[in-house]
Amino acid sequence: MKSKERVARQEQANEGRGVTRQQFLARGASFALAAVVTGSGLTVLSGCGGNGGGSGGSASGPLTFWQFYGPGGQVKSQSKWFEDTVKAWNKENKTQVKLQYVSNKEYINGSKLQTAFSSGQGPDIFLISPGDFLRYYNGGVLEDLSQYMSKEAQNDFYPSVMATRTVDGKIYGLPMEVEPMAMYYSVKAFEKAGLSESDIPRSWEQLLEVAGKLKTKKMFGVEFETNPGYYQNFTWYPFMWQGGADAVTADGKKSDFNSKGAIQALKLWQDAVKMGVAPRTVQGTGGGDIVANLGSGYCAIQNCGIWGVAALREGAPKFKYGVFRLPIPPGGTYRTILGGWAFVANAKGKNPEEAAKFCVWALGSMSQDSIRRGVDWIAKAKSDIAPRKSVLKQATREGAYSSGPMKVFKEDIFPGGRGEPRYTPEVYKAVSDALQACQLSGADPKQQAEQAAQQINAFLKGYSGAKMV
Amino acid sequence: MSAGTTAETKTENHQNGKPPGRRRLSRRHREWLAASLFVFPDTLGLLVFVGIPMVLALAMGLFNVSGFGGITFVGLANYERMLSDSLFLESLKVTVIYVVSFVVGNFVISLALALLVKQKIPFVGVLRSMFFLPYVVSLVVIGLVWKFMLLDQVGIVNRILEALGLGSHSWLGNPRFALATVVAVSIWFLMGYYMVIFLAGLQEIPQEYYDAAKVDGARSWQTFRHITWPLLKPTSFFVLIVSTISGVAGFQTFDLIYVMTTGGPANSTSLGIFYIYQQAFQFNDYGYAAAMASFLVLILLIATAAMFILTRGGRFETD
Repeated sequence: MKSKERVARQEQANEGRGVTRQQFLARGASFALAAVVTGSGLTVLSGCGGNGGGSGGSASGPLTFWQFYGPGGQVKSQSKWFEDTVKAWNKENKTQVKLQYVSNKEYINGSKLQTAFSSGQGPDIFLISPGDFLRYYNGGVLEDLSQYMSKEAQNDFYPSVMATRTVDGKIYGLPMEVEPMAMYYSVKAFEKAGLSESDIPRSWEQLLEVAGKLKTKKMFGVEFETNPGYYQNFTWYPFMWQGGADAVTADGKKSDFNSKGAIQALKLWQDAVKMGVAPRTVQGTGGGDIVANLGSGYCAIQNCGIWGVAALREGAPKFKYGVFRLPIPPGGTYRTILGGWAFVANAKGKNPEEAAKFCVWALGSMSQDSIRRGVDWIAKAKSDIAPRKSVLKQATREGAYSSGPMKVFKEDIFPGGRGEPRYTPEVYKAVSDALQACQLSGADPKQQAEQAAQQINAFLKGYSGAKMV
Repeated sequence: MSAGTTAETKTENHQNGKPPGRRRLSRRHREWLAASLFVFPDTLGLLVFVGIPMVLALAMGLFNVSGFGGITFVGLANYERMLSDSLFLESLKVTVIYVVSFVVGNFVISLALALLVKQKIPFVGVLRSMFFLPYVVSLVVIGLVWKFMLLDQVGIVNRILEALGLGSHSWLGNPRFALATVVAVSIWFLMGYYMVIFLAGLQEIPQEYYDAAKVDGARSWQTFRHITWPLLKPTSFFVLIVSTISGVAGFQTFDLIYVMTTGGPANSTSLGIFYIYQQAFQFNDYGYAAAMASFLVLILLIATAAMFILTRGGRFETD
């Protein structure tokens, strides 16, 4: 073919130019191949894991405090509470504390905090949820806070709330809040569908039925979290508990995940999607973002925590809604999950003692200031149940739970609560995979539950960390 | 060289007006020296920030690394675990599907676009800019915007489909569509970039060939088949290699998946690189993650070498 000659001529024309286009491209591809190694994560991984999680930087300087309530966030009063707390401490103490904001998504589902510890740059003080407690406790980076607390203050916290923050009687985290999960509903959507308060579902069957009536072309009947992650597991656990099942048995030796309770809970979430009454994707930052979902009219009922009250107050003040406790399965017992974040101190930080003292000063002392701070957080900055008796008493006295959804939360929803369990990432992943497969891929709940139970059991055989609760 | 000879050379140089003891480098050596000096900083950076960490990471695959300072030698245990880890094997399968569909789709579309914008048509500059535009936007923004547009029922894409009577789907929430959606968004994002590369290749082809073909009465397809395609081979090879590497290593895809699906629904978009990320940075299993990353690099090296051999490095047929 003549094209061969043309090609040859083209090459001749290229001679004398140094590197030909052909050579350049071939070499470029080779360089790209070399560069891939960087992108494949090898180089990234090599920087991790060698430093023992200590805090980096200079030994002096302010203590760093990582949290996810940034200035200009959804609720301004929350970031202000953090700023005021740190300002008050800095005024009274020589050791200064400096706030550092990490975005919510990155903090909860991302890698920034973990990577910081792996590279020896972990913060001195940070927030942690029970879902992530064992990772850091087993890593040996949590400071015992009980040594700086009075007995009276220790007893002031509710035992159910402290169970997931305590190991061998020592307290490693001081909760700021207790956040029960519930169902929120749009009053307007109910009215449009010809439903009233008397139609509020009490059972799973009723929930699906009502959701079917509420569903329109532009609105889903009910919404559960769909993004895989710790938060999705957190929101699903109470449905499993209502049927008497658990991911890990109370003695921590085996999994109970292949029991009826777990299977029927997997099926409930699957049915909601299969029937088309629940979405497969959620809006905003996820299923915990009530303004972007219920508030925007994307769904008529949303599974969300107590923080939704403050979020709606700030983000959609005119939106009319109600709350009700999680419906239960036939023969089941009401249960909800009590989430919430806690202050913890880095045992390998630049000054663990001062970091621990800060946590105790802020949330765990019997001083009036500490109690006041607790009330301000749960009643003004947020809308939560108090983790301490004294704080709950004062907040109640000040009318924080006297009416509206907060009254329902305190009197009807909170009493059936169980603390968020602390599981290792291996247990979390097994549950998450089963949940995702059933909810969004139509997998057989029984088979998925069995598979997850086997995975958890295999892991538990070699597990030697703190007890899962 | 003897002492006498050296002395003679020095005298000779001095007589020629050149400073004694200096020997002028040949042009070839001067070029080589200049090139080395230019390349040296980059090579040093590559060695320090890529080469050494790479070796360390390979070694890390032989250890159990907790991320909090706990390091235990486990030999090949991480590699054994990897081969029996169904989720890892599943993620490799997802990676293969992703890479094949992305590379092929991206190749065809960007080449078609390049052929289009090479034509002398009105507003061709605007067209080129439009196709390239997505590439200059942050991937996180791209992911968020597409996520919003692809929402179940109420997203703009579903509304349009509904209006056309095609019914709505959960593009990111259904495992049947999620990976294809991510592939489509990836191609949409990168097609402009590869279009520019193809365009550069097309513009290198001398116009005389096309003129000669026209005189010979060649049709469009014949012109493409016998002139454009063979002369574009080096560019095509470059695009194939770079897009394959980009797909396997998840250069752009990782960001999209992180923002749009978090590896879901039901691990359907959990590429190998995403699973490695999860093991390392969410589950603190750095040793295991390093072993999987090493394995992925090995696969990539084999795939690339195979491509080099099969296409003979993208050389012209006459080579």
